[in-house]
Amino acid sequence: MNSAQLEIQIIASLVAIACAIPGTFLVLRKMAMISDAISHAILPGIVIGFFITQDLNSPVLILLAALTGIITVVLVEYIQKTGLVKEDTAIGLVFPALFSIGVIMIAKNANDVHLDVDAVLLGELAFAPFDRLLIGGTDVGPKSLWVVGSILLITITLLILFFKELKVSTFDKGLTASLGFSPAVIHYGLMSVSSVTTVGAFDAVGAILVVALMIAPAASAYLLTTDLKKMLILAISFGVFSAIFGYWVAHCLDASIAGSITTILGVVFLLVYLFAPSKGIIAVMYREKQQRTEVSLLTFLLHLKNHDEVEERHVNHLYEHINWQKVRAKSVLDLAQKNNMIHMDNQVVSLTKKGDEFTSKAINYIITNEDAQIEDMKDDFFLFRG
Amino acid sequence: MDISKYIELVFTDYTLRTITLGTAILGAITGMLGSFAVLRKQSLLGDAISHAALPGIAIAFLITGAKDTNTLLIGALVSGLIGTFWIKNIVTKTHLKSDTALGLILSVFFGFGMLLLTFIQKQPNANQAGLDKYLFGQAATLVESDVWMMAIVTGICLMVMLTFWKEFKILLFDADYTKTLGFNTKTIDILITVFIVLAIVLGLQTVGVVLMSAMLLAPAAAARQWTNSLAKMVFLAAVFGAFSGVFGTAISASQNNLSTGPVIVLVASVFVGFSFIFSPSRGLLFKQIRVIKNRRDLELHKTLAFMYHIAETHENTSHPHKIKLLNNFHGYTKSTLQKLVDKNYVKINGSMWSLTETGFETAANLYTKQETEDE
Repeated sequence: MNSAQLEIQIIASLVAIACAIPGTFLVLRKMAMISDAISHAILPGIVIGFFITQDLNSPVLILLAALTGIITVVLVEYIQKTGLVKEDTAIGLVFPALFSIGVIMIAKNANDVHLDVDAVLLGELAFAPFDRLLIGGTDVGPKSLWVVGSILLITITLLILFFKELKVSTFDKGLTASLGFSPAVIHYGLMSVSSVTTVGAFDAVGAILVVALMIAPAASAYLLTTDLKKMLILAISFGVFSAIFGYWVAHCLDASIAGSITTILGVVFLLVYLFAPSKGIIAVMYREKQQRTEVSLLTFLLHLKNHDEVEERHVNHLYEHINWQKVRAKSVLDLAQKNNMIHMDNQVVSLTKKGDEFTSKAINYIITNEDAQIEDMKDDFFLFRG
Repeated sequence: MDISKYIELVFTDYTLRTITLGTAILGAITGMLGSFAVLRKQSLLGDAISHAALPGIAIAFLITGAKDTNTLLIGALVSGLIGTFWIKNIVTKTHLKSDTALGLILSVFFGFGMLLLTFIQKQPNANQAGLDKYLFGQAATLVESDVWMMAIVTGICLMVMLTFWKEFKILLFDADYTKTLGFNTKTIDILITVFIVLAIVLGLQTVGVVLMSAMLLAPAAAARQWTNSLAKMVFLAAVFGAFSGVFGTAISASQNNLSTGPVIVLVASVFVGFSFIFSPSRGLLFKQIRVIKNRRDLELHKTLAFMYHIAETHENTSHPHKIKLLNNFHGYTKSTLQKLVDKNYVKINGSMWSLTETGFETAANLYTKQETEDE
């Protein structure tokens, strides 16, 4: 690993951290698509800034482009406020228009601008180490490292200073306002940070992949925890892991670094999505199946309680009467037996004392419309779950 | 180039004719289906689908090694559908909200697509050049068979839409009611979604992955401003879409270095802006005019009410009073007074005014009944 490779990985990791922090809040505030809008809409700002400064890493350009991002947010909110279209439509109308203007500006001035459209979408992380920052003739590292580093420093400082305010305003706008913080200030503050981060990361990873770095780690983290601090830490770790691992994948395939980082982010999300302990798809599906069996069990027990007649409680009759398939009926029957709720006597099923008690309680809850209570009761009665 | 010459060229020049027809048909179909997307509050779904289609194009190329448009578009269709259903699955099965799911699928699929594209570019295969036209679209690469393809898909779309018009409409506005009526909402939902994906995929070659969503939204959002009827909206959206395509092509053809996709999107955006401002019932301009008009009516009423309270104190309600009396009342202006005279509510005699019979009556009933024909 040579120093250029190391520098690329450091830049990628810093970008990932800088994106993950505002991304977490955007995901929690249900504004994830705003980051998509900003990342597209800053393009004209970047092009104009580039005409003025002739340097993609200049702070003036970053501020100018970030301003375009904030204008986008304001424009979206204005259109939304007119009530002519819904919020998502407003977002969908504003950013393609601005992005088109940017693309046309690049195409029209192709000779003067060293920006091509591919770089806009993908960034040029591989070339980042070649653009060095010289102070007084000494080489102090790649320019983008300094740019991203400063943005990250500002983001972290703001995060630590305003953590409490951000947290409150994310989860309870009303409380924030009544405590005397202005939700609007926090909202636009977050938007500004997102815009600046997007512009800073734009050079490294391009317009669309910034969105991935903001949303994917936060979304993965959100499936694993409901604690804001843990979510931030998890999101940052996912981001950094994907950045470094993605770099090596790109290195092996000789393909775009940004594309490969995003792909790794996607794979990480997919794994979390499938295997997250309580919110992953497999866990959810397992829980749904469990609930289905348990509801069936309850129906079955209610049926038994309603019928004293021997023929109604005969196993074969049950299959017909409740109209379950054999496998399902057997699993329900087994579960009931394992939990000592029924006993079988010569193919005739009857409730045990425990089963009777459970069923009476359940009926009570059902008639008083407190079905949710049944869930708690299950813990007391069930030795085995469905 | 003047306009008549351009129009002549459209009919004679093969390339220009193909592109104009292609973009027009594309605009029409996306406008039509976009109406459903907008009304179903799935505006940004189009954005996600178009981005999600990119890896499909790359994979189709990797598998077949051929650059046949239809094969690549089938790849795009499959990957777009996977993206769409994954989004739906994330929203229904986890607590992540739809915006997160959209942004996530959009960026991750796109990133994966870019990874594949850059990977393909490094392959020693001369055939690979030009796949990146799907990013921003290149209308110039349209050939007649592509246009036929678009026309056929549009025809099928139209037929299905007319057949299931009632179902589409009812699902749009009241999903629960649809279910209780016994329609299979899931199937209708999937049908609409598949058609939206299809329309997006068709547009990729012309407008490109990045800007396709605007083609879906803009004509529909513009059409929405002019009507409250679904049929009219779908029709108008198709017209707006087709015109955006034709004008966009014309503008980009008459200039150097102007890619068609972004220009079409900008033209469509102009349609939206125009509709937002000038639509008679919802537009901002007429809304503002109505606000001003209402404010004036209110001022008028206030002045009249003030006069009424003065006149009330006299036995003879038409007793003249000094105009000066009104001066320190802020609702009063010369023009409102003049209007009151025009309406025959007030008589002016030199520097004195007096309420007429009708004026007194109107003022007395001012706050008990609604006057609508005022101004």
